[in-house]
Amino acid sequence: MKAIIILSALGLATMFVGVYNFKKALLPMILLGLLAVIGINTMEWNTNIHYYNDMLYFDNWAVSFTNLILAVSILVFLLSGQYFKKNTDHLEDNYSIIIFTIIGAILMVSYSNLAMLFIGIETLSISLYILAGSKKTSLASNEASLKYFLMGSFATGFLLFGIVLLYGASGTFHLHGIKDYVIENHASLPTIFYVGILLMMVGLAFKISIVPFHFWTADVYEGSPTLITAFMATVVKIAGFAAFLRLFFTCFSSITEHFVPILCILAVLTMFLGNITAVYQNNFKRMLAFSSISHAGYMLLAIIALKESSFIAILLYTAAYSVATITAFAVLLMIKAAHQENDSIDTFNGLAKRSPFMAFTLTIAMLSLAGIPITGGFFAKYYLFANTISAGYTWLVVLAVFNSAIGVYYYFKVIIAAYFKEGSEEKLSIFPAYQLVLIITAIATLLLGILPGLITEMM
Amino acid sequence: MTDQITHIAKTIPIEHYIYLSAILFSIGVLGVLIRRNAIIIFMSIELMLNAATLLLTAFSTYRSDAAGQVFVFFIMVVAAAEVAVGLAIIVMIFRNIKSIDINLLNKLKW
Amino acid sequence: MIQNAWLIPLLPLIGFLILGLGNKFLTKSLSGIIASGTVLGSFIIAVTIFLGFLSGENKATTINLFDWINSGTLHISFSFLIDQLSMLMVLIITGVGFLIHVYSIGYMSHDEGFTRFFAYLNLFVFSMLLLVLGSNYVIMFIGWEGVGLCSYLLIGFWFKNQDYNDAAKKAFIMNRIGDLGFLLGIFLIYMTFGSVNYAEVFEGAKGFASGDSVLVVITLLLFIGAMGKSAQIPLYTWLPDAMAGPTPVSALIHAATMVTAGIYMIARSNVLYTLAPITQTIVLFVGLFTAFVAATIGLFQNDIKKVLAYSTVSQLGYMFVALGVGGYSSAMFHLTTHAFFKALLFLGAGSVIHAMSGEQDIRKMGGLKKYLPITYITFLLGTLAISGVPPFAGFFSKDEILALTIGPFSNIIFIVLSFTSVLTAIYMFRVFFLTFHSTFRGTEEQKHHLHESPATITIPLVILAILSTVGGFLGMPRIMSEHHFLSQYLAPIFEFSDLKSEAKAPSEFAEYTIIIVAVVVLALIVLWAMNRYIKKASVPPADDKQTPALRNLIYNKYYIDELYDAIIVAPINWFGKQFNNIIEIQMIDGFVNSIGKTVIWGGKTLRLVQTGAIGFYIFVMVAGIIAILLYNFIR
Repeated sequence: MKAIIILSALGLATMFVGVYNFKKALLPMILLGLLAVIGINTMEWNTNIHYYNDMLYFDNWAVSFTNLILAVSILVFLLSGQYFKKNTDHLEDNYSIIIFTIIGAILMVSYSNLAMLFIGIETLSISLYILAGSKKTSLASNEASLKYFLMGSFATGFLLFGIVLLYGASGTFHLHGIKDYVIENHASLPTIFYVGILLMMVGLAFKISIVPFHFWTADVYEGSPTLITAFMATVVKIAGFAAFLRLFFTCFSSITEHFVPILCILAVLTMFLGNITAVYQNNFKRMLAFSSISHAGYMLLAIIALKESSFIAILLYTAAYSVATITAFAVLLMIKAAHQENDSIDTFNGLAKRSPFMAFTLTIAMLSLAGIPITGGFFAKYYLFANTISAGYTWLVVLAVFNSAIGVYYYFKVIIAAYFKEGSEEKLSIFPAYQLVLIITAIATLLLGILPGLITEMM
Repeated sequence: MTDQITHIAKTIPIEHYIYLSAILFSIGVLGVLIRRNAIIIFMSIELMLNAATLLLTAFSTYRSDAAGQVFVFFIMVVAAAEVAVGLAIIVMIFRNIKSIDINLLNKLKW
Repeated sequence: MIQNAWLIPLLPLIGFLILGLGNKFLTKSLSGIIASGTVLGSFIIAVTIFLGFLSGENKATTINLFDWINSGTLHISFSFLIDQLSMLMVLIITGVGFLIHVYSIGYMSHDEGFTRFFAYLNLFVFSMLLLVLGSNYVIMFIGWEGVGLCSYLLIGFWFKNQDYNDAAKKAFIMNRIGDLGFLLGIFLIYMTFGSVNYAEVFEGAKGFASGDSVLVVITLLLFIGAMGKSAQIPLYTWLPDAMAGPTPVSALIHAATMVTAGIYMIARSNVLYTLAPITQTIVLFVGLFTAFVAATIGLFQNDIKKVLAYSTVSQLGYMFVALGVGGYSSAMFHLTTHAFFKALLFLGAGSVIHAMSGEQDIRKMGGLKKYLPITYITFLLGTLAISGVPPFAGFFSKDEILALTIGPFSNIIFIVLSFTSVLTAIYMFRVFFLTFHSTFRGTEEQKHHLHESPATITIPLVILAILSTVGGFLGMPRIMSEHHFLSQYLAPIFEFSDLKSEAKAPSEFAEYTIIIVAVVVLALIVLWAMNRYIKKASVPPADDKQTPALRNLIYNKYYIDELYDAIIVAPINWFGKQFNNIIEIQMIDGFVNSIGKTVIWGGKTLRLVQTGAIGFYIFVMVAGIIAILLYNFIR
């Protein structure tokens, strides 16, 4: 909870510091602020406090997802220093909007009332509409922004209507109130309640890009400024899944028969479409977009399983996925910073010669995304699949494992480009901040793979 | 006075509110589907939000529960923020391509 | 000492890290020393532990390094199981691995990627050790993927050639198909037994009735993994292509160690397999079919490494046959001897290729005896060993498997397998004579260049030749010695399976018969091959014209030539061609490729759905929502 207040203050401060032209101090201030927020947030561990008439509830899941979001944001901010170097006109605006996005994400992982969920999602989304269009003169950025905005607010309409219908049936916005209502009226739930569940599902599925609500993903990822894409691909996924799981686990876990069959179909569609489409992508950002769709498909299995351990599964998976994705984007940004080349996978050709360090970290990231041991991606997948099997959905896991085999193909395309293809011979220098990010992500990926007990035992 | 309004509102069965809102919502969806002008699409989306708002108020009145009406304020604030951002985006697009026809925006694909 | 067994995989890992990070700064000789030294260190530790097992002072021990995963019902510890079976594998991996490291110092000396090569090689040894030392299936799977990755990196080591990259990709993807099975098998094991630890799984499995369907499914899934890794039909075509890698890689990974991982896995899971007789039968026939088909294909290959590759596939088939009839220790025995002589043959072939400046076609060789005396003798010993000439290593291990197959399935297995042995001898002697005897058929420039390889290459050859010669005494048949060393050593591992299976030991008469017939047939083959390839200096034609039969040998030569050509060679030629063309290229490659093609086609087509038009996107969204609502209402 304190995290939200401090971050809001930080966001406002960022705006004003910009006015008074302390641009140099901006980034260190934000980084220190975020680190402090992680510390303060960690102190709420095991306190399980309900805030403001149970509008927010910081249980251990909320605390750990918040920390994950903050940690990933720190990595993104570390990358931003160089990224915004050329364009400092609206630096403070960009930074403060990113901070407000983080606040929205934190609301989404800690809400205990549908009003907070709605506010969280909207804070996150509206900020992202702006960020996606923050390259004002680039047509691609404009298009991404408009597409995201129109489709996003369209999906919000459904989410909102769903919330209203749930309220109409149960008479409350509180998660535990809805849960009690479901348990009491288990046998005779009105139609509007079911429709409400489904509409909320649609609204949330849009945020985490589940087929057929995924269309925005590839276009928006491609068109947005690369740094923002990195931020969207990680923080939004974490918050979206945590919110989805929190709602469905708390309220609807006793009436799974009404939405789980649909989720199963959506998961299968998402996995196949994401993976198969990614195979033929030559644009690295688009490939990562479809890869993120396929990962959403895998993570949906945790929601289908709908158990307490699904939280660990999602936490591990989003952590491994985000860390690897940040690595991939950091390497892409670094190459682009040197050359202004396009986003094609060919950009990575001969990377092993130009910068063995970056090629190595990129390889770890790709292996992790492909789910090869001993990376975090493997363990996360293993945990997720084992969790799903123990809930009795073996057939889904069979399909998911098959899909991850397809995934290997396109992730290896990147490794092959880096190691086995001839490209420019010119050496790449690497900014210190990027080096730091790459070292952190590589170590984190390996740690998650070798010692996942660090996380699983804590929970 | 307020009691009277509540009383009058309750003379209409709740189902009618639900149907009305559903119809308004569907009109909104239909507008988004068939119109090509970004502003009109945006207005249709606002219609969807308003349908939800209307229904929320009706439920709130029927249950004599203030929470629903407080939520309406949240929705209004969010919708206002969305309008601000949305119109800014549309203006930005208009500056660049001198049009707000969404069919012209299909450079990002495949 | 046994408590320090964790050092065994750690040393190569350290070697990998030093070489990987210090790529730029290390000289070639230093990186060679680091790489070989770490593997030698592991080997020495392994030997001391092994001796401890021999003297009975060491017992099977689990070394728990740390709790890897501990959440809810899922407990996986990162621990090593040190027992007779894993130590045998460790000895092979580090022992043969060390020799191949030394060999590579000479073989790769001119390569610019020298340090990178050794880094990969050390990483491979580490992963392979992880695979065999893990005390549960998940650790084994990690090693399993690790060796697959190293194999991929090493096949594509000379990455400037696109064909090599394709071969590397093929190997990786085919292995992934097998890995799917393995992974699903692990999930199912976890579901069934609530644990993935060997000890608990096998203890739990003993409570199941023989032939229980869960066990059958588990063993079949694991076997799919083994088929990929150990190159069995239908997942074997990657192995011949994998010969694109440097020759030491072929020797280490694609002959001696990695491809035997499937054998190890089944031998390790022997309790499960013994309780699933249906799977055993499937393993048996897949192995048999592979052994036979690969041997027939091997008859007509002209690339020296391809012949050896098909031979490896065929010999792996033998091991699966042994597993299929419940002869787990026989399979491990053949695995051991095969590691010696096949590594020797590959390294010998490498020495030849080195001398020939990269030429691999045996039609362009010939008469190398003079120029490469040490390679010649060691290759001869390897050929004798693989052909099963007594008293070389292959003889004992192969005859032990043959003896096991007498009886079941009305001797069909025995007959086919014996016939396969004949084929093995034929193609090996063919390669041997074509390479080393007769006159040199290459270019003048190549002839000028011919030289014996340096000591770093020949010394490993000599050591492996000695092992191939005496390795067979690890397990002498009953008629020669009361003491079958290897099966007694491994007895604790296979205790349960040996009790369950009623495999009766072959009669003494049968054993004698096998030995005598083997010797006679082998002698005939050698004579025939000498006639054909030395006397007549017959060289396989570029096209497939059958040369007319000539006469000039001891007695009835015309008859024998005719017989071989008409009754054995021609039909086999035909079969080999058919297998190669129809089954391998059209059916198996076709099937595997078509999956890939479908996916790529799907990618090409599906991405067009992303039209870029918001209107279309929203339309699909709405359609999706309506479908979801409708689905909910009709239900």
